[in-house]
Amino acid sequence: MIAVIDLFSVLLLIAGAVFFLAGTLGLLRFPDVYTRLHALTKADNVGLGLIIAGLALQAESWAVAGKLVLIWLLVLLAGASVSYLVANGALKRGIRPWKS
Amino acid sequence: MRTKYLKTGMMSILVCVIVFSLIWWILTDGNIHSWWIGVPAVVLAVWVSIRLGLPVQMNGYAILKFIPFFFMRSLLGGIDVARRAYHPMLPIAPAFIEYPLRIPPGLPRVLMANIASLLPGTLSAGINQDILTVHVLDCRNDIYPELAEVEQHVARIFVMGLQASEGGQ
Repeated sequence: MIAVIDLFSVLLLIAGAVFFLAGTLGLLRFPDVYTRLHALTKADNVGLGLIIAGLALQAESWAVAGKLVLIWLLVLLAGASVSYLVANGALKRGIRPWKS
Repeated sequence: MRTKYLKTGMMSILVCVIVFSLIWWILTDGNIHSWWIGVPAVVLAVWVSIRLGLPVQMNGYAILKFIPFFFMRSLLGGIDVARRAYHPMLPIAPAFIEYPLRIPPGLPRVLMANIASLLPGTLSAGINQDILTVHVLDCRNDIYPELAEVEQHVARIFVMGLQASEGGQ
């Protein structure tokens, strides 16, 4: 039973890492501030969600698992708000979006 | 009507108390002795959120219906952007689009803009009067129905109707 839970944890953590790598890759490969924000907010949010899920399976109590979920929700809120502020700041400064 | 209003007000205070108590319980790892400080803290937090304009009416059922929608869409959003980042050709065609908001200003709009940023291919970049400026990663996709669906969800959560607008749908 414990081995099955451990296996799930490992799978979730690896999947989370794949999304974090995608976020970083997007940050490096995407051409302008707006597209980079897409990569950061969305890929990292899913990556963190998967890692939190993997860690919550290993939590000793419900309170610890709840704390992890709370962290994820706060990061979600902060990520969405900050990406809005950065995009809005760039827009107000007249930074043109990259066009293919 | 007035009693109904009062009832929903009491409901949202009750929900507030439950949510803040849960957060306190989580933060203190369920330590029973910490409630000496926890109970006043929860009361204070509820009072502050009422003072800061807690929406009187919120539909719990709409929130429950929104959660799976949000999980699925944000997961798809992550997969979509990850696929593009890994793809050798970097398949993106970014553009700005303008979405005419039908939802009233304040908390509903802030929530709508934040949720849109986590959906596949959209990023909120500004709210100007009734226009939400959205940066889309791939303008070949039609994202208007998606934004309209989010708006509908948010409107249901705050128990409010959407005003009809010409370019909305």
